[in-house]
Amino acid sequence: MTARIPIGPYHPALEEPYKIEVVSDGERVVGADIEVGFNFRAIEWLAERKNYTADLALVERVCGICSNVHTLTFSRALENLAGIEVPERAQFIRVVVAEAERLHSHLLWAGIACEVIGFQTLFMTCFDLRERVMDVLEAISGNRVNYAMNCPGGVNRDIVDPGAVLRMVNEIEAITSKQLIPVLTHDRTVRARCAGVGVLTREDALALGALGPTARASGLPQDIRKAAPYEVYDRLSFDVPVLESGDVLARIVVRALEIVESCHIIEQAIQGMPAGPFLGGQFPAIPAGEACARIEGPRGEVFYYVASDGSDVPTRVRIRTPTFANMPTVVPMVLGQTLSDVPLIQASIDPCYSCTDR
Amino acid sequence: MDVDGIRRDLGIVAPWERRRDGLWIEAPGLDVRAMARLLCEAQARWVTMTVSPAPGGFRLIYHWDTDGTLLSIATAIDEPSVESLIDIVPAADWVEREMRDYYAIEFTGRTDTPALMLRPDDRPGLFSRTADSVRDFDPADLTDRAERDADRAGSAGRAAPADDSVRASGDHAEGVR
Repeated sequence: MTARIPIGPYHPALEEPYKIEVVSDGERVVGADIEVGFNFRAIEWLAERKNYTADLALVERVCGICSNVHTLTFSRALENLAGIEVPERAQFIRVVVAEAERLHSHLLWAGIACEVIGFQTLFMTCFDLRERVMDVLEAISGNRVNYAMNCPGGVNRDIVDPGAVLRMVNEIEAITSKQLIPVLTHDRTVRARCAGVGVLTREDALALGALGPTARASGLPQDIRKAAPYEVYDRLSFDVPVLESGDVLARIVVRALEIVESCHIIEQAIQGMPAGPFLGGQFPAIPAGEACARIEGPRGEVFYYVASDGSDVPTRVRIRTPTFANMPTVVPMVLGQTLSDVPLIQASIDPCYSCTDR
Repeated sequence: MDVDGIRRDLGIVAPWERRRDGLWIEAPGLDVRAMARLLCEAQARWVTMTVSPAPGGFRLIYHWDTDGTLLSIATAIDEPSVESLIDIVPAADWVEREMRDYYAIEFTGRTDTPALMLRPDDRPGLFSRTADSVRDFDPADLTDRAERDADRAGSAGRAAPADDSVRASGDHAEGVR
């Protein structure tokens, strides 16, 4: 006999609303259906009624974690549309901030995953590390969440204390390599909860359009930073971790390895950053036309499309966030699993419902 | 990938246009299912679809990735109806549901196109409807909602809100949703 168990849309432990209705046969999940849209704000519609300056502030609020990636992708779409070149120093600064954002996002997720597993001490370690990244981002931008760093043609602030950024990444790299990764990969508790749980096969990941670490943990070597490099990523040396097993453990390990890679990227960007201007000057006039932009955000590829009629208000703004693509992959992940693993499995894609609902 | 071969196979006359963000092509009368089959066979990755209101209908842009190059294939439709791709590209499912929510596009060939961002009993076409309502407010929207509220309240054994101020308050939410 089966039972339908609605989980959500309001969760005691999860700040964002979404609903997964699980069909279970005893303890075993035999069906699942996902509902989103509880936080729908029609940001695309709103963006088509505000000017470009206001839209920059608006799209930064698509997501409370990866806010920077939205202004960066929107700015790059406008730069593609208007043929704007970005000063070299600004491109390096964009890379540093984008990778710092990936660091704090991955550390936030690792902490939450540890809490869901029941590993409280590792949760505290992750959040302590994340706090150091937040301090650096605050020192650079003046803000802890919405950094307001990007604008078409450049960035709004310089990095005036690169030494502080280097000290932060050295510390995070050391602790991640020596403590976090060994525990996440070898600890019996973590392996018992995560190995072989919530498997997303390569075929399902491909068919459902999985992105970012979710795709890379299922054997798909997708990363826009490598496939279609933007800013100065083509001048920086880094690896894209790819694992084949497709389980929760693989998604944890991919993100942990990406923390180390982001540290390497930031180190190189800080050391290679040239002197020079970083601002794009006055807000550029956006001509009539249309353009897209794609950025590798912490959760995967972020896509923007902007169409302009030559006025200061876009005629169409389209936003495809990575969690929008990754959410449907939770269904094949939970099938055949036990009910008690459903929270961990849904958390393992690092979902952002704010991004999804826009 | 041989993008020119794809173009020829689809019978598209216009050439690919290389822009900063990738390759673009205008394909009037595009056979969207043939496009999806050809691009999937060529190992292209579905990115998303953009729908925009256009004079006399809608402009659809299908975005694909092939080895890091973004392919944007644009076509136009006069009526809000186009063939679904979900049996060829399962990843298109949520995008089609979303576009039905925003522009009331019907995706033919699907057994069902449930709401994604809207609630199940919300009318599809939110962006089209709200765009119109900004210019020309239609009280029928309120009436429709009031009738649905009354139906729901009746089926739940409760009285429908009779006070207009209560109804207006509820409809403020529909203006956003």
